[in-house]
This record gives sequence, C-alpha cells and structure tokens, in this order.
Amino acid sequence: MREFMHYITNAFYGATGWNEDNTYKELNATARELIDFPLPRGLRLTLSSLATPHFATSYQLGSIGIVDGSISYLYSTVPLTAVAAQSEKIPLAALLRSYRRLHELGTKDRQWFWGAETPTGSTSQLPAAAILSQSPDKNRSSLLYGRLYLPQSLLEGLVVKRFSSALQVQLSAVSERSLRNGGTLLGLVQYDRGKYGIEGLASTDGGLLGIRGLYNFGGDASSGAGSQNGSGSTEGGEKERIYGRFSAGGELYYGTLNKSGGMSLGARFATLPTHRGTPLTATVTVNPLMGNINATYAVLAKDYCSLATRMEFNVYSYESEWAVGMELWSNRRPAGFLLGAVPIQQSEPEPEPPKKKERSFQAKLEWRLDDPEPEPPKPSKKSAKKEEYLGVLKARLDQNLRIGMLWEGRAKSLIFSLGTGIDLHMLGEPFRSLGLEIQYSS
Amino acid sequence: MAFNFNWSPLTADAGFYERARDLLTTALNKSPKPPIIVDDIFVTEFNLGSVPPDLEILEIGDLAEDRFRGIFKMCYSGDAFLTLKTRVQANPLNTYLSAKPNFTSPQPLAAASSLTIPLQITLSEIKLSAFIIVVFSKQKGLTLVFRNDPLESLKVSSTFDSIQFVRDYLQRTIEEKLRDLMMDELPAIIHRLSQQLWCPDQIAKEDEEQSKESDEHTINPLSTPPLDAVDANGHLLDPATISELSLDAGPEIMSLFSQSSLLKLDSMTTSQCTSSLETSAIQDAMFRAWTGGSEKVETSTPPLSTPNLVRSTSYNGSAHTYTFSDTASQDQGHLPSRPSMVSLNSATAGLSLGSGRNAKTGRKKKTRVVNLRRKATSEVNSEAGDDGSAETDSTATTPASEPVMSHPILEVPEEEMAMPSSSAAANKVRFGGSSDLPSQARRPSLRPEPVKVSEGSIPSAEIKSAAKSTLRYSHDQNQPAGPTLDVKADWGRSGRPQSDTSSVILEQAWIMKMAGEIARRVYDEKNRNPQLWAEADDSPPPAYEAR
Repeated sequence: MREFMHYITNAFYGATGWNEDNTYKELNATARELIDFPLPRGLRLTLSSLATPHFATSYQLGSIGIVDGSISYLYSTVPLTAVAAQSEKIPLAALLRSYRRLHELGTKDRQWFWGAETPTGSTSQLPAAAILSQSPDKNRSSLLYGRLYLPQSLLEGLVVKRFSSALQVQLSAVSERSLRNGGTLLGLVQYDRGKYGIEGLASTDGGLLGIRGLYNFGGDASSGAGSQNGSGSTEGGEKERIYGRFSAGGELYYGTLNKSGGMSLGARFATLPTHRGTPLTATVTVNPLMGNINATYAVLAKDYCSLATRMEFNVYSYESEWAVGMELWSNRRPAGFLLGAVPIQQSEPEPEPPKKKERSFQAKLEWRLDDPEPEPPKPSKKSAKKEEYLGVLKARLDQNLRIGMLWEGRAKSLIFSLGTGIDLHMLGEPFRSLGLEIQYSS
Repeated sequence: MAFNFNWSPLTADAGFYERARDLLTTALNKSPKPPIIVDDIFVTEFNLGSVPPDLEILEIGDLAEDRFRGIFKMCYSGDAFLTLKTRVQANPLNTYLSAKPNFTSPQPLAAASSLTIPLQITLSEIKLSAFIIVVFSKQKGLTLVFRNDPLESLKVSSTFDSIQFVRDYLQRTIEEKLRDLMMDELPAIIHRLSQQLWCPDQIAKEDEEQSKESDEHTINPLSTPPLDAVDANGHLLDPATISELSLDAGPEIMSLFSQSSLLKLDSMTTSQCTSSLETSAIQDAMFRAWTGGSEKVETSTPPLSTPNLVRSTSYNGSAHTYTFSDTASQDQGHLPSRPSMVSLNSATAGLSLGSGRNAKTGRKKKTRVVNLRRKATSEVNSEAGDDGSAETDSTATTPASEPVMSHPILEVPEEEMAMPSSSAAANKVRFGGSSDLPSQARRPSLRPEPVKVSEGSIPSAEIKSAAKSTLRYSHDQNQPAGPTLDVKADWGRSGRPQSDTSSVILEQAWIMKMAGEIARRVYDEKNRNPQLWAEADDSPPPAYEAR
C-alpha cells in the first residue's frame, strides 16, 4: 500500500504534468513492486487528510512492541482540488496496483494522463480526477513535505521544485542524531525531455555524486511524430507491428570521500498502453563491475492478475537468485477472498426468463418466423462494475522458500493491508511476521 | 616468580581445540557485525602453537585451598594462529547504502547489487602483554579480568592482501573486535566455564533464587544489631564492639545473637524435651539448609542472581573494572558483600600499572597478608567468636573480599610466646611486593596498634608451626614488621598450648577458654583508649560502597 503522502505526491506530479516514471531509477519498477512489496509489521494506523487543496496532513501510529508514530505535513503550490483524498473514494488501483503501464512520452502541452483513454480506468496510476486544467504557473510549482518520527526524533524533509516543464529539482534531507554529522542531504536534478531523461544527484553522505539517464526508442518514441501520435491507433500497419517501446539507460556513481563507485546498465521493453495484446514488461540490468545480471519479466495476464519473475546471476561468484510475485484482484467484497461473501453479481436482479412468445398471426400467414426483435442494449454497467475492485491479494516466493502474502482492500471507508511472511524452511514456526495497516483519510 | 608451562598437553587433548573453536565461533558471532560481513564468522583453524606465554606473579592477595586472588603479568609472543572464514560484501556501494536512511538514499537500480566473496583471515604473530587479575573461589568460580588492553600487535593476512585498502580495513576492524573479545567476552566465558566445572549447583540455584528472592529484602544483621547482643559464649557484647564486626569478617556474624533469641531457642529445646504442648515459634529464622552452600556467610549475602558483567568506572575514574555483582543487591542499594572486582582496585593500588593510579589520588594503599594457614585449624577455631574483634580491622577494611575469610586466629604455640621478638622479625609474608610497600601503604584505619599486633602475630605463628613440619613457607620472610614491634610483646604473653598436638576436644575446650580471655582483653583494651577503637571503625572507601 502506498502511503497517503506518497499518493498525494504522485497526485502533485500528475497535476504538474511530470512523468516520474521516465527515469532510469524506475526501469524495473513494475517487477520490483510485484515482488518486493513491503510487508506490514505490527499494527499501524494512519489518519490522513487533504485539509485544503494545498495542504495535507498525516498522522501515523504504530506498535511493534513499542509504540511509535509520525506526523507529516505536505504543502503544494498547485491546488490538488480534483484529487480524491477520501479513503472511500480513492481509486484502489492508485494505491495498490503494482503493474505500471507506460506513460506517454512528451509532457509538454499535452494531456499527460493516459488513463482516461483506456476504457477501464482502473489501471490508472493516478486518479482521473487529477487531470488539471492547464494552469499557467504549473511549471513553477513546488511541493514541501516534512515528517517527524516521534520517539526516534527523526526528521525527514523533501522539497520538490519545478523550474520548467522539463526541469525539476528535488532536495531530500534526513536529520537524526545517530547519523554522522547529524543528518544527510540528497540533491536530485531531473531533466525529462520525453525521449530521454537525465538525473544528476549529489549526497552529502560520503560525497556521493551520481548521474543516470534513460533513452527511449522504438515504438512511439521511434519518430519525432511518434510522440505526438502516441495513441497510435490511427497510424495503421507500421505502428501496429511495433507495439512496444524500448528503453535503455545507465547509471554511474562515485563517492568522492570514500573513493568508491558503482555503475550499471539496463534495458527495458514494455508494451504500449494501446497494445491490444497482453501487456508485458521485460528488463535486463547488468552491473559490469560486480558481474551481476538481473532479468525481470512482468505481465498483466488479465486485468485482475499480474505476474512477475526475477532472475539474478553473478558471473563472478556464481550466486543466483530467483523470485516470483503475483497480484490478484477481486471485485468481490473485501472479505471475499477468505470468507466467501456474496459477490456483487448476485446483487443485481436475475435476468428474467425469456417469455415464450406466440408467433404473430401475420407471421403465420406468411409462413415465416417472426422478425428478430432488436436486442436490448447491453448495460454499460458491466464494464463499470468490472473495474470496481475491492481487494487485492499479493504473494511472492523466493529461492529461500520464503513466502510473503499481502491482502489489501477497502472495508467501508477504511483501507486495510494485512500481511504475513512465511518461511517454509522453518515449518515448526512458519510465520515470521504479521502485520496490519489501516488507513483512513478525509 | 614465574611459571613453567607445560604447553603441549593442551594439544594432546583431542577435544580441546574443537571446544575452543566452538566457543570462539559463538563469541565472534555474538555482537552485531559490520555490514561488510554478510555471513557468520567461522573459526576453521585454531592452534596454540608451541611457545607458551610468560606468566609472572606480581601480587597474591589471597591464597587458600578453595580460593585464590592474585595479579599476574602475562607476555606472549608465540606462534599461535587462528583462521577465520566468512563472506564479505565486495560492492562498496552496497555497504554504503546499508547504513543509510532510506529517505535520502540515491536508490541505485543495479549499481548496488551484491557480490559476496568468501574470505579467509589468518591471525598470526599475536603479541600479548597484559596484567591479569585472577580471582578464584570454589563457590563463585574463576574470574579473570584484564587490567589493560592485552593486545599489543597482530598480523592479519587474508585473501585480499594485495589490495591495500581492504587490508588496512581488515586489520583495523579485526584488532578492534579482538580487543572487545578479550576485554568483554573472555572474562564472561571463563567465568561461565569455571562455574560449570566447580559449582554446577550454583547455576541452577542462581536461576531459581533469582526468581524467588529477587525482591526479598535482605537484612544486614550487623546494621541493626540486637539490643541485648551476646556472643556465642553468652558474654554480653558492647554495642561498640558490634560495630567493629562486619559482614566480611566471615563467621563472626554467626556469633552475634540476641539474648532474647537465645532464650527463645532454649525454651524451644526444653519444650521438645518435656513434650510441652506449647512450642514457641521463632520468627525471622533462617536455616542453614536453605542457603545450600556450606558457607554460613551465605545467610548474609544478598540473594544470588546471575552475575552480570558490569563495567564500572572506579572512583578515580581511570580504569575500568568488571564486577560480577548481584542485580538485586544493586537494586536495593545494599552493600555488595559478594566478591567484587572493585576491591581489586585497591589490591592493584600498589602497582604502578600506568593507568593513572598513583599516590596522588589520595587513595591509601593497603598491605596484603597472605593467609597460609590450613583450613582445619580455622574451622576448629570458628567458635572462638569474638577473638576476631581485634582481628576484624585487618579484614574489615577489605569489605569486598572473599566471603569466607579464613577465621583469624591467635593460635600461638606456647614456646612461641616465650620469644615474641623472634617472630617479630618476620611476620609479613609477601610475594614479589616491593619493599617500600608496607610503610607507605598503610591505611589510617590500620594504624591502631592492636591491629598491627594481631596482623603481626598471625603470620609469625603460622610460620613457626609450618617450619616445624615441612618448612614450606620458609621463603619470603624478609619483611620488617614496621612500627608494630613494641606492642607485640604484650600481646604475645597470652600463653596457649600447642594446638597441633592436642586432641580436638581438648583443643576446643581450650579455644573456648581462650576466646573468652581474648574477648575480655579486647574489651579491656578498648576501655583503656576508646578513641582509638572508634577510629578503627572506618567507613569503607567510596569504591566499595553499594551503588
């Protein structure tokens, strides 16, 4: 479950038209979220509120043996009026869905949000309501976020400042007593031209400097006009043949104080949202210094089912790892997975049995059957209902036979997340962790 | 004095190295490891080599059949080696990120992927030089503490020797870890092992008593003496005399009874004899069987609990001391009457160990008298209650000494009494102590003459009787008695028969008589100059006080 503040930050990106997925960091985000979803531990309650369109607060109280909590505030210069912040209205997909479809390239002067184009709005990363009217000062918007963890006295701060449609600067800081020098600061400069995105970063911790970039080609990014006609349905045969987009990128880090560094290269193929077949994402990353090869494959098998696998291999140490993850959505009631509650379909009235109609006299006279009656129009409720998912079951398994299970959904106006970690190697005491997270927002 | 180690039998024991490897593996994996070490540390090879360490006795504070306390100097530069196996993280970015907050993490995609490399480390050319304090008692096991950092130098060779950065890092980290191991873990391991060896019942008892009596209020019987205190012989005791007694003086406390209690006991005994229906109940009685151990002093100790290793700074703030102390006694603020390593501060005070402990601190040093008498005689004399009141001062100033101080006796053979001056020449038995110690190391509380006399006369008696049999202790009798010579004669005049030759019954009867006489003499002596005795009642130095 994404936290409320994360959701609001995403909404801010959406409102300002920033594509946060067009960076090398998010190259394999789909598989990572399908496999490495965090499991809640202990009990955690979150009360959140988007008090005004500019201001959001969130209070969290947790208990893992000891009681801890956090207070966070967020301020955005862009009014987030259209964002659904009430927990009974938040689209669950925005909070819970792991599979990320590609966003359209090119953010300038275009409606960035692709979700409205798809008939099933449920796959949207962000609520459709987040589409904003083009505000003139959108490109100068900024966001301030602060969070204080109470018993630890740990302070987090984040400043996001948009300088132009393609340039954004993020500054994040953590202050805690136990850290060296009392805290760290990370600066991030992001430059997104649609076809490519570059990030430069600097951290006070170890004097780390880094640069990473992502270049898109093929598919909608192959030609200059491609980005303009991203929907591609009008393009015809040639566009149909290449139904995905390739991305390639790399990253390079160097710690100026500890004289150490690291790098990696990566590539991704992902189907475009307009592709009518099964959406899939495949990535390969290589770390030539450490000899690490990582391949992931994620597929949206059905709209309610996503699968992902990951393979890792190190050519120097011959160590290998694998992991699989799964996500299963249900449109039944939240308890439907386990308690077998009544599905929604049963609530609609039974279709009445077709009436045995007499052949009309006219038809009998003419020795023919009746004209087929015009069928009643199919109710569009079917598709509307289909997207109304109420819960999701996520599961993962890795080569150490550790299972992670997470069940998330909405009960009344509470969004809950119940997770457990199971270790099959220790059958005597298989449950390694158990947690429940409850979130309410208004 | 030095030891001649027979080093090879250690290696002859087939199970020894295996046990040592297991112990070391457990100890190394106990504390949290740095993020660069991603696996457990296994000890694969361990060899003590052929060169034994040099061990030198610096001082012996206490010596008997069932207990020992001493300070040693150990030097080692042998060919022992130790091989460890573990796996380390070779990606510096991975270890960099592992300790950082997630919020400001640069979140690299694959640059931080892990590469673990098996690592073999060999520690050799270990050079140790340490001052070791050893305290052994049959009840409490063996306690071994390093007074200083024992590790002098060490050679670390690993699979990464060609890489300078990694080699330096390993050398630094391992030295640090090894120091921790020596200073913190090793004393605990040895203590536990010795408890398993010598007093297996202690471990079980500690557990049950900790739960049972954790909050039971322990009473110091001497802090609130009965109003009508009598000694074992029924003589009335002066309250001032009682204050001379301390818990640490050993069996004296048993000789301190309330007269009303004795009367009650007596009535109970007679009621048993006469089959009277009325049996008076005795409150607050503690039976010897409860205490488990054979030691009577157990009754006055705080409840036993798991000895925890407390690192405390001594009052002059320079050296760390390790205290195996009761949590219960600390909680309730009682005087820790269990053996406490804190007392060894004073024992080492005479040595210039270079740890900031010197005469400037105002700490008065103390002489140690080696108590070399046999146990049998002390047991016989244990009833001789208050003859220890004169002796108490020599032991009362070491309140944290072993709980079973051998009972100080004035068992002087008759022929000794005729020539007290001969014994006066040699009354201090000292191992390796510097000759200037006794003069400068006097505590003011030891200044009173009667105390000196008693101190002086004991070893002389011992030496004489011992010399008669085997001449065991004929060495080291070269210390002058200092300022105590003149008074000694007057004390030595109390003639006594030779107890070694007499039968036990005769001895006992005689001892009873002697005890009474000594008590009387002490009482008289005290009446003669009371301020001297008041001064002798010294409060313990701050380091001994209950925390």
